[in-house]
Amino acid sequence: MFNLMRRDLIIQKWQLLVFIPFILVFILTNSHPILTFLVSSFYIPFNAYYYDEKAETNILLNSLPYTRKEIIASRYLSAIVCMVLSIVLVSLFLFVFGKNFTLTHIAIGSGLFLLFASFAFPLFYLLKQGHIFTIVLISFLVSVAVIPSVVDYLMDYMPMITNFIASLSTITLYTGLALGVAILYALSWGISTIVYQRKAF
Amino acid sequence: MENLIDLKNVSKRFKGFSINNMDLQVKKGFITGFIGANGAGKTTTIKMMMNLLKPDAGEVKLFGLDYKTYEKEIKERIGFVYDGNVFFEGMNLKDIKRIVGPAYKRWDDALFYKYIDQFELPLNKAIKKFSKGMQMKASLALALSHHAELIIMDEPTAGLDPIFRREFLNLVQELMLDGNRTIFFSTHITTDLDRIADYIAFIQGGKLVFNQSIHEVAENYALVKGSVELLDRDTEKAFIHIHRAPTGFEALTNNIAEVEETFGNTVIIERASLEDVMYYLEGGVQHV
Repeated sequence: MFNLMRRDLIIQKWQLLVFIPFILVFILTNSHPILTFLVSSFYIPFNAYYYDEKAETNILLNSLPYTRKEIIASRYLSAIVCMVLSIVLVSLFLFVFGKNFTLTHIAIGSGLFLLFASFAFPLFYLLKQGHIFTIVLISFLVSVAVIPSVVDYLMDYMPMITNFIASLSTITLYTGLALGVAILYALSWGISTIVYQRKAF
Repeated sequence: MENLIDLKNVSKRFKGFSINNMDLQVKKGFITGFIGANGAGKTTTIKMMMNLLKPDAGEVKLFGLDYKTYEKEIKERIGFVYDGNVFFEGMNLKDIKRIVGPAYKRWDDALFYKYIDQFELPLNKAIKKFSKGMQMKASLALALSHHAELIIMDEPTAGLDPIFRREFLNLVQELMLDGNRTIFFSTHITTDLDRIADYIAFIQGGKLVFNQSIHEVAENYALVKGSVELLDRDTEKAFIHIHRAPTGFEALTNNIAEVEETFGNTVIIERASLEDVMYYLEGGVQHV
């Protein structure tokens, strides 16, 4: 299992060199810390999918002594590992460059990453090869553009929701959201496993 | 004799193509060649052996174990070589080895480097820049370095030049000196098999026509040549397929005794090569 996770680093050794300048661009252009955390978390797992969607990769991995369950598990676990590493790295850079960020930024950034990954990962296995990367990229850009205005809309026109959220203590709110995201991620993992086990290569 | 691969009543349906109720046994310690025309179902069968495809019905067992419970145990013991390159194209052999090697419990680095030396393969060159022959050798080096008992190869000789092919066949024979190895490989180049195979499995239109030792094939099939006048509705029954030409006929039979009885000395009976058998069986399907 560990070897399956390690393969991302071997495959992407050149992309990893670009990873640090990639983060720096976001930091030096004063992007919002949440966005920086979010985008850098995506970097490795989504690059990995570029290789994983190829038929040959699946033939190779499935001919090696791995089960399909393990192949999916490695994907979901390594996404979390990559996220944690990216957060550490981004925090370090933000600190070095004297930018302000809070734990809330990290929490929201990683929460959004897991949320988005939960929807994107099963799609990778469901959709036809070749279109996946484009679809995910577009849906990501669209959601980044649309979600803030949707939230604004809800905030403006639905005071009930606002009141409800405001009435919750910060801890309840965060625990609730974290739990929700965790459940969604686990659910997504399960769905991907079922989809992948039914695939033919 | 022990069967290393055992397909029982296996069916798989696709749009416009299907494998129906196939029974195929591969014996331990021998080289079995799997022949058939393009599109006959060779790759589909091999994919079912590798659990890349699951049969709609029937049972696939390797080493007497089923994939449902023993997937990892089975694949630990198989070395695979596929027609195309399945390894990450842009990567070099050293990095590919770092991905493939740790997957196997019995991976042997020293053995891998022995094959790299023997095959004269560069470790730091991207695999997509390899020639077809080098790619095949690279796959083979990776397939052989974990002491696999069973080597499954899908069209390993396709696209290789004759010198490379001969070299490959010699190597396969060397591998068998180990005594504990079993090799199953598909090809549509029948001369490969004349040289090295112990058993021949022949597939046609998703159906296994026969799975016999190479001697049985030689004994059971013969090429018959004679003048066209000898043929009529009754005498034709002795043949699987007949090719008529102005100069005479040439036909394949799987009933040599009957041919001898019917025609006596009026025809010439010759040993049929695998290519003859395959050509005539493909040419006219007269299942009597």
